[in-house]
Amino acid sequence: MASVFFEHVRKDFGTATVVQDFDLQVADGELVVLVGGSGCGKSTILRMLAGLESVTSGTVRIGDREVTHLPPRERDVAMVFQDYALYPHLTARENISLGLRLRKVPKAEIDRRVRWAAEILELQPLLDRKPKQMSGGQRQRIAMGRAMVREPAVFLFDEPLSNLDAHLRGQMRHEIARMQRRVGTTALYVTHDQMEAMTLGDRLVVLDGGRIRQVGRPIDVYRAPANKFVAGFIGTPPMNFLDGRLEREQDGPVFVSDTLRIPLAAERRPELPAGSGEAVTLGVRPEDLALADALGPATIRGQLVLAEVLGATTHLHAEVGGRRLIAAVPSGPSPAPGGAVSLSLDPRRLHFFAADGSSLLLDSASP
Amino acid sequence: MRRTAFYVILALAATTFLYPFLWMVATTFKSPAEVGGLSLLPDQPTLDNYRLMWARAPFGRALVNSLFVAGTITLSVLVFGSAAAYSLARLNFPGRRILNAITIAILLVPAQLTLIPMYTLIVQLGWVDSYAALIAPYAFNATAILILRQFFLQVPRSLMDSARLDGMGELRILFTVFWPLAKAPLAMVGILTFMGAWNEVLWPLLVVRDEQIMTLPQLLTVFSLGGGAGPRQLATKLAAAMVLVVPVVVAYTFLQRYFIESMASTGIKG
Repeated sequence: MASVFFEHVRKDFGTATVVQDFDLQVADGELVVLVGGSGCGKSTILRMLAGLESVTSGTVRIGDREVTHLPPRERDVAMVFQDYALYPHLTARENISLGLRLRKVPKAEIDRRVRWAAEILELQPLLDRKPKQMSGGQRQRIAMGRAMVREPAVFLFDEPLSNLDAHLRGQMRHEIARMQRRVGTTALYVTHDQMEAMTLGDRLVVLDGGRIRQVGRPIDVYRAPANKFVAGFIGTPPMNFLDGRLEREQDGPVFVSDTLRIPLAAERRPELPAGSGEAVTLGVRPEDLALADALGPATIRGQLVLAEVLGATTHLHAEVGGRRLIAAVPSGPSPAPGGAVSLSLDPRRLHFFAADGSSLLLDSASP
Repeated sequence: MRRTAFYVILALAATTFLYPFLWMVATTFKSPAEVGGLSLLPDQPTLDNYRLMWARAPFGRALVNSLFVAGTITLSVLVFGSAAAYSLARLNFPGRRILNAITIAILLVPAQLTLIPMYTLIVQLGWVDSYAALIAPYAFNATAILILRQFFLQVPRSLMDSARLDGMGELRILFTVFWPLAKAPLAMVGILTFMGAWNEVLWPLLVVRDEQIMTLPQLLTVFSLGGGAGPRQLATKLAAAMVLVVPVVVAYTFLQRYFIESMASTGIKG
């Protein structure tokens, strides 16, 4: 086990820069999730740590060792891949033990570690099968077993659940969290899946265009996004945005837009821009919108376009002043699509973003 | 009915290919009196033609030479060809694209065109009448490189990454990860190379004059040219040809599954 350090890491592919000024410290035993859209550089970061991709500039350290230019086999990392990357011509047992055999680990020790991994991941019945005789979930467990027996300093997971169906993904997510807690190895986990990002990591690193946009505990990132990108990226359905301006009035600040005028709650007052009337974007999470019986000071009126009943929750898609808002409300009687709908906002749970996208709230984590 | 007609046509087509071969086999067991006939069954089967062939020229030695030369060439083509294919397909280095283009360009040069420069080179190296002269020019093969490169491009990158993390170097990745996955294309390249090397006549005729180093087809050619034209001679020559054919047929019988598999997957047709 070891901590991991990235210091001003940059990666160029030809003239394209895919990772820039990447600084991150992962504590010993911590599970950090790198999340971002396609092409944000998250897998490249993982591959640079593994030594599978060269670093254009900057330093990578694992524990006390600088590993920036070391080959993969000297880095003491193990990786679980999206497509499992099991050797098709070897049995599960041979796949799991190959890395140890290549490192000349004594046979008795190999057997012990394979038994240990097989026990944790419940692999015993699969050990003598070849990958093609196994399901996707079973193959992924073998891939995890292969990483575990190496007893590496760092585990790397590169979208390991993307090829599985939704049910199996949930099961394997639980499995990975349980395994990582049990062995206590430092881990970096790359995903584009919100659910995995929110549930798995001790900390979340949100990436965009090769840069870190926010680092923090998942719930902190969710509650206090540092900028509009993170606010829109984390959360399903995504945060709703309304453009407007902040006015200073006697009772305090007020958000004003074409369709809305909201006096802001004292505990959620943004750091106002110097002059009154500055343009801001208001952000509100779908679950912070509620169906309203009557028009109040923080109520929006619009036309219901679609109602998606998901079970306990219903997503109401409403058209307000040419913009689409989504409200996540408890399932129950709701207006028919095409009819008028009133949605109230909770003034204490609003987010405000400046024109450059940064959050204006005092308690936001900085990127 | 249509199905029956289809099979009759196929059977007729197969016969046109098979009959001459079976006739050759049968003739090697016939006495001189029977050699001219079209029958596939000798009245009095005899091994005299084989005995005579064996007595008149060192065919045993030529068989060993052919096995050694064709085997070495096949092994070299597989080892060096797959190493070149691996680096062209999966390694990043300056000049890779140019090397790829050169490999393809080599295929466009007719072998006859390189015959004289190659002969001059062999003479200058002092390799005339040596195994090196028979093996070296064929130890690398552009077709093999291209076939294997095409297959290696399809192997997932994650498998290589995983092998590197497991501690493998490039050669180990090639031989312990890629080779087991590439059984079909390797078998196809192996069979094609072996057959090509086994049947090669022109080049050995140019660079080898010592009977002790001659390969089977070369010796057969020399033997045919100087052996006379009577029925006995014809049957003896065909017996020598049989010695040439049998190893290829045996090898193909064992490897045909991979051969057909690979033909189907790479789209290469004879």
